[in-house]
Amino acid sequence: MIVGERKPFDEITGMLNGYKKVLILGCGTCVSVCMAGGAKEVAVLASQLRMDSGIQEKGVEIGEETIQRQCDREYIEPIVEMAKTYDVVLSMACGAGVQLLSDMLVPTPVLPALNTSFIGICEEEGVWAERCRGCGDCMLGITGGICPVARCAKTLFNGPCGGSVNGICEVSKDTPCAWQLVYDRLKALGKLESLEEIQPIRDWGPSSSGIPRGVYREDMAGVAVESEGSSK
Amino acid sequence: MNTVNLEINGKAVTATEDMTVLQAARDAGFTIPTLCYHEALTPFGGCRLCQVEITSGGRTRLATSCTYKVEEGLIVTTDSEPVIRARKIVMEMLLARCPNVPLIQDMARDFGIEKPRLKKIKDENCILCGMCVRMCAERMGVSAISFVGRGIHRKIDTPFQVQSNVCRTCGACASVCPTGAITIEDITSNVPVPIPSEFDTVLGTRHPIYVPFPQAIPNVPTIDKDTCIHFLTDQCGVCESVCKVGAINYEQEDEILELEVGSIILAPGFKPYDPNYIEGDYGYNRMPNVVTSLEFERVLSASGPYQGQVMRPSDGRHPEKVAWIQCVGSRKAEICKDYCSSVCCMYATKQAIIAREHDARIHPTIFNMDIRAFGKGFERYYVSAQEKFGVKYIQAMPSPMVRELGNGNLLLEYMNEDGQGKTAEEFDMIVLSIGLEPSEHTKELAKTFSIELDDFGFCKIPELEPNIASSPGIYVSGAFSAPMDIPESVMNASSAAFLASRDITEARGTLVTEREYPPERDVSDEEPRVGVFVCRCGSNIARVVDVPGVAEYAKTLPNVVYAEENIYTCSTDTQIKMAKIIEEHGLNRVVVASCSPRTHEPLFQDTCREAGLNKYLFEMANIRDQCSWVHATHMPEATAKSKDLVRMSVSRVCMLEPLHESPSPITKNGLVIGGGAAGMNSALGLAAQGFETVLVERESELGGNLRHIYYTNEKESDPQVLLKSLIERVQNEPRLTVYTGAEVKGFSGYVGNYHSTIRTSIGEDVQVDHGIVILATGAVEYKPEGEYLYGESENVMTQHELEERIATNGIDAGELKSVVMIQCVGSREPEHNYCSRVCCTAAIKNAIKLKDANPDVNIYVLYRDMRTYAMKELYYQEARKKGVLFIRYEPERKPDVSQADGKLKVKIFDPVLDDEVSIPADKLILSTAIRPQPDAAEFSSKLKLPLTADGFYMEAHMKLRPLDFVNEGMYLCGLAHSPKFISESLSQAQGAASRAVTILSQPHLMSGGVVSVVNQGDCVACLTCVRVCPFNVPKINEDGVAEIEPAACQGCGICASACPCNAISVQHYRDEQIMAKSAVLCS
Repeated sequence: MIVGERKPFDEITGMLNGYKKVLILGCGTCVSVCMAGGAKEVAVLASQLRMDSGIQEKGVEIGEETIQRQCDREYIEPIVEMAKTYDVVLSMACGAGVQLLSDMLVPTPVLPALNTSFIGICEEEGVWAERCRGCGDCMLGITGGICPVARCAKTLFNGPCGGSVNGICEVSKDTPCAWQLVYDRLKALGKLESLEEIQPIRDWGPSSSGIPRGVYREDMAGVAVESEGSSK
Repeated sequence: MNTVNLEINGKAVTATEDMTVLQAARDAGFTIPTLCYHEALTPFGGCRLCQVEITSGGRTRLATSCTYKVEEGLIVTTDSEPVIRARKIVMEMLLARCPNVPLIQDMARDFGIEKPRLKKIKDENCILCGMCVRMCAERMGVSAISFVGRGIHRKIDTPFQVQSNVCRTCGACASVCPTGAITIEDITSNVPVPIPSEFDTVLGTRHPIYVPFPQAIPNVPTIDKDTCIHFLTDQCGVCESVCKVGAINYEQEDEILELEVGSIILAPGFKPYDPNYIEGDYGYNRMPNVVTSLEFERVLSASGPYQGQVMRPSDGRHPEKVAWIQCVGSRKAEICKDYCSSVCCMYATKQAIIAREHDARIHPTIFNMDIRAFGKGFERYYVSAQEKFGVKYIQAMPSPMVRELGNGNLLLEYMNEDGQGKTAEEFDMIVLSIGLEPSEHTKELAKTFSIELDDFGFCKIPELEPNIASSPGIYVSGAFSAPMDIPESVMNASSAAFLASRDITEARGTLVTEREYPPERDVSDEEPRVGVFVCRCGSNIARVVDVPGVAEYAKTLPNVVYAEENIYTCSTDTQIKMAKIIEEHGLNRVVVASCSPRTHEPLFQDTCREAGLNKYLFEMANIRDQCSWVHATHMPEATAKSKDLVRMSVSRVCMLEPLHESPSPITKNGLVIGGGAAGMNSALGLAAQGFETVLVERESELGGNLRHIYYTNEKESDPQVLLKSLIERVQNEPRLTVYTGAEVKGFSGYVGNYHSTIRTSIGEDVQVDHGIVILATGAVEYKPEGEYLYGESENVMTQHELEERIATNGIDAGELKSVVMIQCVGSREPEHNYCSRVCCTAAIKNAIKLKDANPDVNIYVLYRDMRTYAMKELYYQEARKKGVLFIRYEPERKPDVSQADGKLKVKIFDPVLDDEVSIPADKLILSTAIRPQPDAAEFSSKLKLPLTADGFYMEAHMKLRPLDFVNEGMYLCGLAHSPKFISESLSQAQGAASRAVTILSQPHLMSGGVVSVVNQGDCVACLTCVRVCPFNVPKINEDGVAEIEPAACQGCGICASACPCNAISVQHYRDEQIMAKSAVLCS
């Protein structure tokens, strides 16, 4: 799941400065689940902004709406007309949602209300942790299901580094050493021997350091084009 | 009496002919200020503030309403311009006379007078209202004071202006004085003796008519005949005159009621020990700053004599060094209090912590012999007292000869812990941790019920038959059988209730009468028609809040079609009237503005139902607690706030919708998990009360730990006989189905409707439906591999192993020369921070057995604190008498065990000798901990039950609900809860069965009403509700959305507030219903 966190209130009011009619648009998928941008968060932010507007006598009108997903055109389409009646749309989706929404609402500006934090899991209620960097070349199969890219501070592929003390990372004492975890897990799986294999220097090509990445499913993409064609 | 009709401020009023205009006007809800009027005294017309305009026989004039009798056709105006002007002049004169009296200043301010135009005549407190004079003459029949002098020299004084010798110092004069002008010392040389309050111990005082304590049941005043003037002299009677509902009855006598009952529970409680000079009182009674722990408890209480400030009685100074002295009246054979009072170590620790929390300057020191923190969670608390709160524990008993210093401080002398010399230390205050003794009338009680008492006057009960007194059908609960703490008392009480109800199972429900209600009116298509009932609560609300004003205001609110005020809205006649009004006016929503919904909502809801209205179409505004009580000195503001609260309630009530509860069936079977002593006893208990029960034991044999216990300290107790009888009864009980070698594999459902899958010994899965669960999964003995050569030397064993060998003649005591026992092996350590409760007593039990078999054997018990609580202390005494040696060790200097040539040697540092002692040992016995079941974490998560930090099951409330889990319909008992003795397990098991029967014996459970509901279309299955629910009710169902079972939902609303999609709402507390209130508050 994509985990996000709402921006500080002052930053949001700063961005909205000068706009008189604001639509807050929530997203009903990942950010709802991580309690950052669902219907409740939309209502809370709207209420906060209304109070702020009242106190500062800004006279801002606030609208609220939450859609299923902001990363799919079909969910955005029904609200495009309505959204364009506003001066600005404050999106509570992740970065992907904000971008698609921006594309579809021109000339109405779209502003982000969240910081997109990471791809992660919910450890317990109210606690989320990063688990994946989307590096494009998954090696969890070798490391017993613990990712050295996302969880080792040094992104080592042949760890540990030697700075790990009692299973704690030397970079941060709140962080467990990923390679200690890898070792413990492989031991539990009875596959310690896989550590003896030296991992070669990694090709970072598929990772996010270059041009924007894309995935093309020939079979599916084809179907969509064909059906579009046939309907015409 | 004849009635008279008159008109007050244009309103027709009916009064009885003996009433004054003031009384008639006040009853009709009009406010008239007075200073010299009192219901119990002859009207005087002295202050002139109550003037009103009277029109009679065509003539209008001003008259004092307190002295003017009502007349037929009289026209009264209480607020006309001439009336106000006249009152204002009186007020100005009063202010000129008494410029510094707060009451006069406040009243003047209400008239808009800040400064009198008149010259200040004198600076007086007395306004010459004469209430004191009339009170003393008319009601007390004494006339110790009267008016003397004339004109501006007029004043209140005694005859001849000398101190009176007829004055009884009753203080009635001072109590009625509106301005606080009376001082008793001016009237008499007799010194008033305040009546000490029993509840505030001797530190506070009370009146002759009083409510015994804030939580008294019934919570009504009582008259102390020994101090009441009326009972002593036949005078006074003021309370009878002022009580508006006529509740005072001086003729009331004790009544003898004869009841026919099937069983009896005796719960007379205990009496706190009263320290006295003969028995060593540490200066108590003579030195004010020596108090008992019960007195100190009141000192710490916010409702206590010092309003929760820690002060010392002698001078009200905040003490810094406070000493607690333990075992005052306990563990003292020379005063026939040989037993341990069980609770004092922990209450002293609690008081020390609370005192520190109140005032960080306090340094508590607790002098003790042993700290007995044996209860569940107590060890952690004891450790935190030292580490977090700096409580100092000194293992020494100070000399009872306390010296009081000139400044009220106290000097204590005690032996140093190292045994070398003594210390004299000064304390600001001393608290005596007094013990528990049987209450006063228990001897008579015992005679009445022909039951036996023990040597100390506690009730004698057989160790392995808890709660059973020596006469059939008579059961005992609480500290009457031995000193015990709150959780033990609560469990014990449930157990006694079990036994008492078991005897009369057949009669269950036969005295119940069902209430019938008229059919409910469908109001769904109606516009809201709100009725508002504003309560005066006698004068409780009306004294501060303008109740008629609030009622009038309510009439102006939208949707309100009816509003009225009542003297007591909760009285039976008002309830009948209310139901009638609801029907007559076609009300479909009701608001009562009165007291707390916590106490009165059910009553008013019932009235709604009587009138055919759904009980959820009702709302309360608490204008007593939240207005008249807390804003007693701000009357206009209190009235304004009352109006706000009423407006909010009216707004919300319009948004409410009828809710319906529906009966949901109960599967009237039980499931007991665990077939040890506790589990078998619970299962037998459920069966005895008539409920079919499944008992699951995972071992191949029933009995659990009881199988390994061969004897106890009590000669008459035989655990093996108990084991055999339990197993036999379980096997012969037709209502029980027993699975041994079986495990609970699957578990689901909620109270009344649980479903379990049991995998039997042959691997078959059996489905069981049951309404309740009793968890009695037990615990295990810790085997200390690697500690103290356990497992390496055959001469090192646990207490259990020793017991087994003694019982089976596997050990020859005659051969032994020296035996060493080490206590707290695996207990009271940072990673296992709890006391195992039974090991001190077990060590003593085995030591006595060995000593009895061979008096020459040397037995050394190496201990940290001997925790032989309650009557177990007697065996500790016996062991010492028989020559068992006890050597204390500190956890930092644990005993050192070595073995050479097959001979064991134990080295230990003895703090009294201040040297290391080396003891050769033939046998080394380890008193090892009781550990939770190794798979407790896994099993508890299957049943969705919480565990404590130590891995034992966690009850719903440590003190008040020790047998219940938070999950309704689930109960626990035995070692799964925490380490305990067999007797305690048995009692707990019976208690758990009793708790379970409260569910199983109901015809059905009501579900619905205030519960959470999911709008499944909005649910994104984020699991938030599943995670936050403290009762584990929400589930993600097969459709992939959250589902909340109404029968299981407790309506706490946590899920609704946490749901990120607003998909969940709590019925009756929906967002819009709450917002309706805040919206009108801000408008």
